[in-house]
Amino acid sequence: MADKTFIVKIKRQQRPDEAVRWEEYELRYRPHMNVIICLRDIAEKPFTRSGSESTPVSYEANCLEEICGACAMIVNGKPRQACTALVDDLEKPIRLEPLTKFPLIRDLQVDRSSMFENLKRTKCWIPIDGTYDLGPGPRMSPETQEVGYALSQCITCGNCLEICPKVNEHSNFVGAAIVSQVRLFNMHPTGAMHAGPRLEALMGPGGIEDCDNAQNCVKVCPKGIPLTESLAAVNGQVLVHAVKSFFRGS
Amino acid sequence: MRQPKIIIVGGGLAGLMAAIKVAEAGVTADLFSIVPVKRSHSVCAQGGINAAKNLKGEGDSTWKHFDDTIYGGDFLANQPLVKGMCEAAPAIIDLLDRMGVMFNRTPEGLLDFRRFGGTLYHRTAFAGATTGQQLLYALDEQVRRFEAEDKVKKFEGWTFLSAVLDHAGVCRGICAMDLKTMEIKTFACDAAIFCTGGIGAVFGRSTNSVVCTGSAQSALFQQGAYYANGEFIQVHPTAIPGEDKLRLMSESARGEGGRVWVPKTPQDPRPARQIPETERFYFLEEWYPKYGNLVPRDVATRAIHKVVYEMKLGLAGDPAVYLDVTHIPREVLERKLEGILEIYQKFVGVDPHVEPMKVFPAMHYTMGGLWVDNENQATNIPGVYAAGECEYQYHGANRLGANSLVSCIYGGGIAGTAAVRYARSLESGCENTSPAVYERERVRQQDISDALLNQHTGTENPLAIWREMGDVMTENVTVIRYNAAMQKTMAKLDELSERFKRINLQDRTQWSNQTLNFVRELGNMLILAQVITLGAIARNETRGAHYKPEFPDRDDRNWLKTTIASWDAGKIKLDYEAVDISLLPLRERKYTAAK
Amino acid sequence: MSVAATDSKTSYLLDKLQSLSGVIPIGAFLAEHFWSNSYALVSVGKYNDVSRELQQIPWRIFVETCVLFIPILFHGLYGIYIWWTGKSNAIGHPWMANWLYVLQRWTGIIAFVFIGWHLYTERFLGHGVTSYADVQRSLLNPWYLTFYIVGITCASFHLGNGLWNFACKWGIAVSVPAQRAAGWFGAAVAVAFTFIGVAIVLALHYGAFPMGSYVQ
Repeated sequence: MADKTFIVKIKRQQRPDEAVRWEEYELRYRPHMNVIICLRDIAEKPFTRSGSESTPVSYEANCLEEICGACAMIVNGKPRQACTALVDDLEKPIRLEPLTKFPLIRDLQVDRSSMFENLKRTKCWIPIDGTYDLGPGPRMSPETQEVGYALSQCITCGNCLEICPKVNEHSNFVGAAIVSQVRLFNMHPTGAMHAGPRLEALMGPGGIEDCDNAQNCVKVCPKGIPLTESLAAVNGQVLVHAVKSFFRGS
Repeated sequence: MRQPKIIIVGGGLAGLMAAIKVAEAGVTADLFSIVPVKRSHSVCAQGGINAAKNLKGEGDSTWKHFDDTIYGGDFLANQPLVKGMCEAAPAIIDLLDRMGVMFNRTPEGLLDFRRFGGTLYHRTAFAGATTGQQLLYALDEQVRRFEAEDKVKKFEGWTFLSAVLDHAGVCRGICAMDLKTMEIKTFACDAAIFCTGGIGAVFGRSTNSVVCTGSAQSALFQQGAYYANGEFIQVHPTAIPGEDKLRLMSESARGEGGRVWVPKTPQDPRPARQIPETERFYFLEEWYPKYGNLVPRDVATRAIHKVVYEMKLGLAGDPAVYLDVTHIPREVLERKLEGILEIYQKFVGVDPHVEPMKVFPAMHYTMGGLWVDNENQATNIPGVYAAGECEYQYHGANRLGANSLVSCIYGGGIAGTAAVRYARSLESGCENTSPAVYERERVRQQDISDALLNQHTGTENPLAIWREMGDVMTENVTVIRYNAAMQKTMAKLDELSERFKRINLQDRTQWSNQTLNFVRELGNMLILAQVITLGAIARNETRGAHYKPEFPDRDDRNWLKTTIASWDAGKIKLDYEAVDISLLPLRERKYTAAK
Repeated sequence: MSVAATDSKTSYLLDKLQSLSGVIPIGAFLAEHFWSNSYALVSVGKYNDVSRELQQIPWRIFVETCVLFIPILFHGLYGIYIWWTGKSNAIGHPWMANWLYVLQRWTGIIAFVFIGWHLYTERFLGHGVTSYADVQRSLLNPWYLTFYIVGITCASFHLGNGLWNFACKWGIAVSVPAQRAAGWFGAAVAVAFTFIGVAIVLALHYGAFPMGSYVQ
């Protein structure tokens, strides 16, 4: 009996300045396959469907259990993690493309360093005095922890930026992920003491005001983070901060 | 005073903690990582982090934590530093708490603790089912803060190739490759701290992330660093089998009351839910009544192997057993285990709230690693430090669940501090090292890449070699070890090393060539595989995770010693070093009753 | 995609003003406008009385400029700029809120054009003096009528959906249930305004007075 096969189409580009081409691969089907296994199959036999020799596909991947955030790409038109994109659940032929809102490196690999840069600019950390022993941290209710934990699971995959109509070459919007992190740090008892600078950062161009409530972000978040709530909450915080600091001085 | 330069390779928990300590000491740290540090493998740690804070009124103490760790590690760990780690653990939890880790809380707003394998106490602090991720993020944020203050400089997307050693064999820098431009460069430093994590890829499929290849450790080994206790490989008893990866099902599933069982009838065709209690074989609970499902990992793994391979009770004849959480209230599962159960659902497509999970052991952790001294995390190469999973210090012959996170942070902290002290004490820093020393290393590494890129006649596929290596290592050098089979493994590794010389790169571009990088790592993995196998062949006893049916007992007279592998003119040489057992007397390790 | 390093809060202020101006004064004026025009449902006399009343308010040109012309011009033009900074993708990702995002832009531009034309014909051509008969004459033209109905529907939708956006963007409705409630409120506003607006123009078109019995 001939093996069952299926087709994977991949948008390839060897360098950012080189031409885009679509390549088609025919792969042998096995149960429980995901897109990562497809890409590894291609690396082992880098020949297109028509038999011409190609190269292994460049892509980012690390944990393969949807917790590191590396393998985000566009699978059948939707930004998602390749490791949880199960072949059984995908329409064939499967189409793979790189995220479009980040500078391309090669094939399915993009440079998402801007997200980390934005975490830096928005001061997303708890400023502790030092690593020496200062006793336990502030007490926190289980309810606060539950909300915080949900927010702190953001894997910086970039899906929410990819899907956002307000992230493009005409706008500097930082995206829902960063705004949600600001909310996380502003709700921590120590972080709350330093909420001002984070909110100031989100008041500038590219900040919170660029969100126009299309609410796509929450649909593609692999971690189910309540991003639209974060956007609204931080919107309110920024506004209150702006009004307060205008009328009372900061 | 001259300002020392410190390089840290690896941005997981240990590397980030080292970076924090270095920056805090007022020294600039250059942090190299293959992946953006926030994507490091530490994110995969699920269950929690151990610290005897005794917040449950159980009379727990750091001494008991120390005792459990040494006992769990079958007395192979040097005791003083392990004691130091257990004593530091409560303060480490406090530090993480202050850094904003969203640990689970009690109604009083204090940290909640759960039970984990190998202990009778609620000693494990946890943040949902993604504790490693939460801890890594907390340290990542602190490092980002230092980065904003220009105290840390990150080189993400660079891979370490080799250390730059001067004529006296002192580390004066590192040689690394930019994974985008493929450019090879050297970077000067006074001390380098290696926090390069696990070696899962040596076993092909494991619970480790893609970057956990052990390549950096192997490269250092080939430059003269000692590699200790390589043969001690932890196999996690419960993982979800998969073609690309064996996904961990955390011990916390058992910690929260999950039960492991198989049907008493071999090849029972009924679905799990239809099998009545009386026809289920809860083998861990039956064999180890005191610890039940929470026996240490090696014990659980071997029990599962026995049930599947000797008693032929694997599910439907497959190598798998049930891990059952369906009896636990849904509310508890959602609050405490949501993350890990979600993984099962996502990758298997079955709801573990309703159906018991099918799991099987998988290579998980290396207790062995770069040899480091007993106080400073310093390797035998002056100026080279190591911390985290890539070194061998804390877990003896077997690691206890939830001890790895604490060892990463503790070891990373020590390494950072010690490296600064060493760098400050140097009379002559790297600025006085001749540029020729750096250039020589750069050229050596460039030549290796060029040779691979220019070899057009190769016929061997790197992924195929990797797969074969992984299969033979998993089959013969994990749970159950026979000398004859391991000798054959050595022959196979020799064959693969020969074939490696005829490798076909398939991608000869000079831009983000992931194949080139992988092949370079593969070459290093092949050597590490031999170190592990040779160590396992030599050690004729059973201790912790190292189990030889031909030598079923622990042999303290002959084998209470650390294996030290060294690279001797292209050959692996094994030596041994006494274990420091100055604090706890030896006793037999068994989990059938209380210790 | 980056938070600019500048301290400039100008864009924040402009964005907030754009958002606010849609509700106050524009939304509020729309409510008032529909209210006073609803007298067309009662009687010619009442309608003309109210119109005259409004046309004779003190500081008229000043009030019109500050409350109407400038806010509408700003809201519209800055809105077009905001539109330009986004790239909709609702075709590929047809989620409800994503469609609302697109519709908000198209209804906005249609309403803007309509209001511009409406102001020109009703306010400037008549030099600020109109009566029931003037308006009715325009609305007898089926093209005018159609344009009015489209314009009113778009403006009403834009206001209703804008109120939902406002609730989210000003941090009034944070939780998902609150946002959903705000969405329903916005939908109710859109439907109500459309209904009232269309009723007015149809009444004018047909010269009907469904509330004529109110006149004693």
